[in-house]
Amino acid sequence: MTTAAPAVGRGRRLEGRIGWLEQTLGGITGNIEQAIFTEHHARSAGWLQRRDPRAKMIGLLVAILAASLTTSLAGLAILYAGTLGAARASRVPFGFFVKRVWLGIPFFAGIVVLPAIFFVPGPRVFDLALGPAHLAPSWNGLAGAFIFVSRVGVSVSLAVLLVVTTPWADVLKSLRALKVPQVFVLVLSMTYRYIFLFLHTANGILLARKSRVVGRTSGGEQRRWITGTMGNLMSRAFKMSNDVYAAMLSRGFAGEIRSYATYRLRASDVAALGGVAVVAAAAVLVGRLLP
Amino acid sequence: MHIPDGYLAPAVSIALAVPTIPMWAIATQRVKKVLNNRTVPLLAIFSALSFTIMMFNIPVPGGTTAHGVGGTLIAVVLGPWAAAIAVSTALILQALFFGDGGVLAIFANCLNMGIILPFVGYVTYRLLAAGSPVLSTRRAVAAGIGAYVGITTAALAVGIELGIEPALFSQNGHALYSPYGLSEAIPAMLAAHVFGASIVEGLITGLGVSYLQRRHPEYLTSLRGIFAPDAATEGTAARRPLWQVVTAAAAVAAALLAIVGLVEGGGNPNRMFGADWSRVDWPSVATMLLVTAVIGIVLVPAAYLVLPRGLKRIGAAFTAIAVIAPIGLIAPGFAYGEGSTGNVKAAFGYVPSGLQDLSGIFGAPLSGYNLPLPFFSHASAPLWHAAVGYEISGILGVLLVGGAVYVLARALRRNGSADTAPEGVGA
Repeated sequence: MTTAAPAVGRGRRLEGRIGWLEQTLGGITGNIEQAIFTEHHARSAGWLQRRDPRAKMIGLLVAILAASLTTSLAGLAILYAGTLGAARASRVPFGFFVKRVWLGIPFFAGIVVLPAIFFVPGPRVFDLALGPAHLAPSWNGLAGAFIFVSRVGVSVSLAVLLVVTTPWADVLKSLRALKVPQVFVLVLSMTYRYIFLFLHTANGILLARKSRVVGRTSGGEQRRWITGTMGNLMSRAFKMSNDVYAAMLSRGFAGEIRSYATYRLRASDVAALGGVAVVAAAAVLVGRLLP
Repeated sequence: MHIPDGYLAPAVSIALAVPTIPMWAIATQRVKKVLNNRTVPLLAIFSALSFTIMMFNIPVPGGTTAHGVGGTLIAVVLGPWAAAIAVSTALILQALFFGDGGVLAIFANCLNMGIILPFVGYVTYRLLAAGSPVLSTRRAVAAGIGAYVGITTAALAVGIELGIEPALFSQNGHALYSPYGLSEAIPAMLAAHVFGASIVEGLITGLGVSYLQRRHPEYLTSLRGIFAPDAATEGTAARRPLWQVVTAAAAVAAALLAIVGLVEGGGNPNRMFGADWSRVDWPSVATMLLVTAVIGIVLVPAAYLVLPRGLKRIGAAFTAIAVIAPIGLIAPGFAYGEGSTGNVKAAFGYVPSGLQDLSGIFGAPLSGYNLPLPFFSHASAPLWHAAVGYEISGILGVLLVGGAVYVLARALRRNGSADTAPEGVGA
């Protein structure tokens, strides 16, 4: 039911035992890599990249809501076809987009849902007697599992599509369109900026340790060190927040937050939003009409 | 613990905004009142810190790693309101930018990890640490226990949110969203946390607070004056040796057990825990204990020597548990270790439906955790024969489970290294 942080653990390329240090380093590097990858694609000239970020955000929410509401595989298929079309038109690397989602999702969601196939009552697909136990998946269980895994996959695909076609700054400004308070948007944007500073700092600390430690140390020592590092980062966070506040004051910050970006909703954005609404409505209605 | 989209019905996802959004509003007001314009940079930087802490892999005994959330650690320093905003912001960033956790599920995730976790953790910490000096060991331990309770409560909340899905949203007999009911989702979430993730969270929080006490005590004293003026007085760190703490805890636990046993036995020492101790054949128990001790002295060091490096300690510990397991044979009146589904039902009030199907398989080869040979399980065999049988079947069980986990871990690792797609969002 929990999914591990996505990038963590994928840093494992080397053979053999990889420790916590390398895993953390790999995770940090993965996050930075991902941010660069995303910003690169968010700035290429594709169909979704040209849309108004507010329209994109609302369209995404409508589509994810439809994916959650639909009760049939056909509805999810319609939504996924629309998502794939949009990804194609937006020059998102196709192999990446499909593989990323469908290699990971059946793995996490599928393992979660696997036992349920056997416990759901109803007519059985087959009944394999193993001594006193029966291995008998039910049709209902299989149908439920398919819809569940597909729903998770389609929802994740939609979120991935928004992320790789929208620069982070635009995601934030479109949150304003959803009436998220300005203070939150400002905190989010500053957080995003400082995440990379912290990741950079943590990367340096971890690399410094890795390059100076030979052999193995005890688990207790490792835990003391990593919590010490967290405490140390916290102390830096305090100092940094004071410095940043001083810098903001010296540049004329008086509690007012002003944003300079102005977007104009074009006819093509409205049309795209209408298209999303039609696809979403179709996906939901298909489930009602063709159960 | 991040719930992805598709696990929760949209109605549930949106309903969870009802407690979450007002909490955010109150939190912003509370923090703003104390900090003024300073709020924005402080919260932003602590959100970034929370995000970074969630990235850290903590080495866990046995060679694996786990993630912490750090919500209670931030709550101890900044107070629960500021921690709620910091963790929530980090979670929103993870969902919107790094694809970790669902977009519709943001309210659910923020409620569980951003609000329930720091508040429960902080309240537990305050209750346990009440009145103790800021720099005392008790405060670090209280923070660790608070974090343990906080994240376990958050896991319980996740179990409830997932568990109500099949009851509310099913069609033609199959679940539309997360397929497990309350009786499966809650034990699964709790078991995964009580024995794993919660321990890690408690450990990093306790050790983190103790680091701050040693290196940056000002964050626990002067800052508390700003955020929680009624909190505590400054004091000096009283360093108590670990063995004293452990001995005191063991003594308290033994005393508690004795009291509970006496209460259950109606005050009669011969009927502790409601069992009839006068029926125990003490000489044969002594033989059994002697045999067990000899086996333990031989087997535990042998396991330590034979096992590969990473598994030495954990393997020796499991061997020791298997060796001392038959001590339960002493207890009269109730069969120990022979948990049939009837016993499980009595203990937990329900039988997980899967267990009922599977009990036939596991029951067959090593019935009652003893070996099906007359030497071990004959009714008139001496007690120590049965004890040896228990030990052998216990060690076999540890080997089987360990082997299965090892094979699974190898398969997963291969899967991970075969994945050569660029690092991107998703999963």
